[in-house]
Amino acid sequence: MNLLWQCLCACVVCMGFALVFNMHDLGILICGGGGAIGWLVYCTGNKTIFSAFAAAAAIALFSESVARLRRCPVTGYLMISLLPLVPGSGIYYAMRHCVLGEYDLFFSTLLSTVGMAASLALGAMLASSVFRSVFPRIAQHRNTKNSSP
Amino acid sequence: MNYDKLLNVATELGCQLMAGGAEIYRVEESVFRLLSSYGLEGIEVFAIPNCLIVSITTPLEHPVTRMRRISGHGTDIELLERCNDLCRRLCQETPPPEVAQAQLAALLPQYRRYSRQKALAGYFLVPACFTPLYGGGIRDGICAGLAGFALGLCLLYGQKLIGGNRFFRTAICSAIGSLLALLLVQVGLGQNLDTITISVLMLLVPGMALTNAMREIMAGDVISSISRTAEAILTGTAIALGTVIALAIGQGL
Repeated sequence: MNLLWQCLCACVVCMGFALVFNMHDLGILICGGGGAIGWLVYCTGNKTIFSAFAAAAAIALFSESVARLRRCPVTGYLMISLLPLVPGSGIYYAMRHCVLGEYDLFFSTLLSTVGMAASLALGAMLASSVFRSVFPRIAQHRNTKNSSP
Repeated sequence: MNYDKLLNVATELGCQLMAGGAEIYRVEESVFRLLSSYGLEGIEVFAIPNCLIVSITTPLEHPVTRMRRISGHGTDIELLERCNDLCRRLCQETPPPEVAQAQLAALLPQYRRYSRQKALAGYFLVPACFTPLYGGGIRDGICAGLAGFALGLCLLYGQKLIGGNRFFRTAICSAIGSLLALLLVQVGLGQNLDTITISVLMLLVPGMALTNAMREIMAGDVISSISRTAEAILTGTAIALGTVIALAIGQGL
């Protein structure tokens, strides 16, 4: 139940970001859906670095396929759906440790935050690249005309 | 065909794509495709986040180059999608450059933008719904929403007051956001100060710039990736600077 509530919140967060970044119509719902999927994967994997990787990959697959269907740039969907996963708390606590002069804690928090951000980016990139290399073959198979994302 | 006009259209389109927040490879590829669909050869496109250089060779072996400097760029998905649509259409139909220029000029004033009220609703919703993700309750959510709303007011209406410098704008906004969070907790509405502050600051965190930078370095555009990473680090520093003020005041209390 708690998980469902959190996914709903992640969905609304993405919809809010869609308003801020001037995205219209169906795009808002797609961003919300992407955010919810990402948070679901992230939570079922117990919020480790690997689950962040998997969540980013799931979001990338989702937004790449939607972008193909709608013939829109994938950038908007992918970026906005990834935003709930950005390690904001890590950045905040790292900064706080730094200000308070707790340098050991600062470095360990900073490193885990950077690792988290890198795994997000890596997951999204990997899934996108795999999708891009596999998709043209599927599209060719169906004999439909392929176009740039 | 008027190649000067064609070059102008292509450069302007690339510029607008960049202003909408497109990745470097998308800008370069769009301009390249547009020009090559007109049957040109010897097209060179080079883009970094604040500069776009396009060079073509006309059929008479005459080289033409255009450079555009792109000042500020935010993220505007609607602009990005409309420009992408237009580019695709131009590639398929290849109308005369004059028509293409008119279409591009008509696109810019008429694409849809949210009114400030709707954007403010976004600024309220984002922090309010971030708190449950960081383990906060309903009351924390309301506090974060209010602080985010104030931050949005600052960003949207306070352009003249807080100046155009991006660094100081971010620092001031984060100071306002975290001070408001502190105030609301002191008043007794909020319970968990850290959760509220983090949720508000998520509005300013350069998540877009950072993920874009990572995507670009994987795509091989190292220079623009470095420039975007530097931008993200700078924004992060500004946020930290703003928050430190609130933290210092909080510890004094």
